[in-house]
Amino acid sequence: MENFSNLMTGFSVALTTYHIAIMGAGVLLGILVGVLPGLGAPNGVSLLLPLTFTMDPVSAIILLTSMYWGALFGGSTTSILFNIPGEPSSVATTFDGYPLARKGQATHALTLAFLSAGIGALFGVLVITGLSSWVAKFALKFSSPEYFAVYFLTFASFVGMGSASPFKTVVSMMLGFGFATVGMDTISGSLRLTYEIPDLIKGISFLIAVIGLFGIGELLLTMEEGLRFDGIRARVSPREVFKTIATLPGHWVTLLRSCLIGCWMGITPGGPTAASFMSYGLAKRFSRRGKEFGKGEPAGIVAPEAADHSAGTSAMLPMLALGIPGSATAAVMMGGLMIWGLTPGPMLFIERPDFVWGLIASMYIGNVVAVVLVLATVPLFASILRIPFSIIGPVIVVVCFIGAYTVNSGTFDLWLVLAFGLVGYVFKKLDYPIAPLVLAMVLGDKAEDAFRQSMIMARGSLSVFWSNGLVGTIMTIGVLLLLWPLLAAGISRVSGGFGRTPSIRLN
Amino acid sequence: MRMFHGMVLSRFAMEIATGCVTALAGAIISYGATEFGTGWDDAGPQPGYFPFYIGLLIVLASLGVVAQAFTQHRRTGQVFLTGEQAGRIIAFAGPMVAFVALCVLLGLYVAMTVYLFAVMTIQGRFKIPLAALVSIGTAVAFYVVMEVWFQVPLLKGPVEAMLGIY
Repeated sequence: MENFSNLMTGFSVALTTYHIAIMGAGVLLGILVGVLPGLGAPNGVSLLLPLTFTMDPVSAIILLTSMYWGALFGGSTTSILFNIPGEPSSVATTFDGYPLARKGQATHALTLAFLSAGIGALFGVLVITGLSSWVAKFALKFSSPEYFAVYFLTFASFVGMGSASPFKTVVSMMLGFGFATVGMDTISGSLRLTYEIPDLIKGISFLIAVIGLFGIGELLLTMEEGLRFDGIRARVSPREVFKTIATLPGHWVTLLRSCLIGCWMGITPGGPTAASFMSYGLAKRFSRRGKEFGKGEPAGIVAPEAADHSAGTSAMLPMLALGIPGSATAAVMMGGLMIWGLTPGPMLFIERPDFVWGLIASMYIGNVVAVVLVLATVPLFASILRIPFSIIGPVIVVVCFIGAYTVNSGTFDLWLVLAFGLVGYVFKKLDYPIAPLVLAMVLGDKAEDAFRQSMIMARGSLSVFWSNGLVGTIMTIGVLLLLWPLLAAGISRVSGGFGRTPSIRLN
Repeated sequence: MRMFHGMVLSRFAMEIATGCVTALAGAIISYGATEFGTGWDDAGPQPGYFPFYIGLLIVLASLGVVAQAFTQHRRTGQVFLTGEQAGRIIAFAGPMVAFVALCVLLGLYVAMTVYLFAVMTIQGRFKIPLAALVSIGTAVAFYVVMEVWFQVPLLKGPVEAMLGIY
């Protein structure tokens, strides 16, 4: 009941005209970012972040999260109408969304996608509402060793559960840690890894990395394909929308399964992209109409969309309660929180309940606003993609570099964005996962501080990480996850190769 | 199998090259960390401890990537980049790099106007008046949004100084 009254206070914070207007603006910007190839949720939020430095933190986080919801919805629009995923997490939506739209049922496909996405998101927010203060209370018991153990578990789960080669995950993650150590060391005050280059003293901002890796990298990939938009014209009629709503209860099993997968993948840092693929795969396997998947099967739209959005929203739970983001976009937002002077983690629930519950309440309202706005603006945003790419492409480039400049007002960052763009392009093509790099950049300092403080507490003995049941359990699970690729290889060798699971490729 | 004409960069070669570059990056990080002591003292690990082992891990994992390239990508005929794709990438990235260089010299507003105008007229084959309208319009729109609305100043160069815009 305590959560309920907190939530009501949250609604009183979020339900002001100003905040509703901010939600509307954020959602529209988000849809725009989601529709445009090369601009996605992580770097859209990165681009907008410097503009929120002077805003009140509650309004700022509402703006950024609304943009996130909008981007998730916008990505589905292009997947269905153009067969071009506007977001990596809506790739799975193209499998059945585009074929269904080509059959002349574009409205049905879009409405189905948006509604299941909305249901997924609301499910995620419900989970957050129910669990967040409990998790935060639990996390209040944490001291440095426990924090380090949780960071360790987060990163170990990327190595163990990711679909990429474990070596590539380690390279990507450790590069992120390496970039994070550049500049002033928070404990000793020495300038590390600056190689006497003055521009490196202030460090490398994770925002610059995100804009390069996701923005420029994605644009290069898009360009390489030789972009052609074969759009399907769509006008959303209210009658079609209501007819689709009537079919929705029939998908309840798929919806529930997808929401659960999404929440799990969002809270453990699997991220929305992995969640949508996994959900699609399972829906196909369990459906009696499995053979129809890929030819425009409605359940093939419901599954990835619901999982994508419930993962997107529930990724906010570990960010708020533990200070550990569940997705690249949540990582960027957490960076924002720190810049606004807030410390993500359990203390936030005690010090700034208005912020936490205002944000959670805004998620309910924001997602409803997003469903309505995205349905209403489909023709508008679809027409943006009919502008020739020789105009849109350079404009996206300009937006990325303007965003990069506003981070620190330095020209060195512009070159860095180019470099990160190249890295992002090559890494994507060679199946290096990029999310661990971003997460490591945001968490790098905190993980290192937690480790060094634990060492100071324990006078340099690693046994502190097994000193009590809690930290010991987390560390042990982390070690097991880290060694999982080896264990799995051993098991499949013993059982003669039968244990091999089909891996999900994201490209 | 589709036939690829012209230059082809194999995935195998690119896996090896990327592994070597990341290994080099790891080595540089480890080397930079030695400046601050990589061992332990009374207060636990020294400042160079973390980065040193991060660098070392990158080197080791990169070697793993290279080894995997030999087992998984050798003689599979997987293609990283075809000549046609490389052409598209250069056509897009070339002007982008020029844009960044122009930004540093002339400021963001002038650079974006020139960049948009050049890409629209040369690559997009738009008529000059339309390209001028779009490129100048974009710069003005960004000026209004950034400087007036959000009050975030962007980099300006000699042209703005001449016109008296700060």
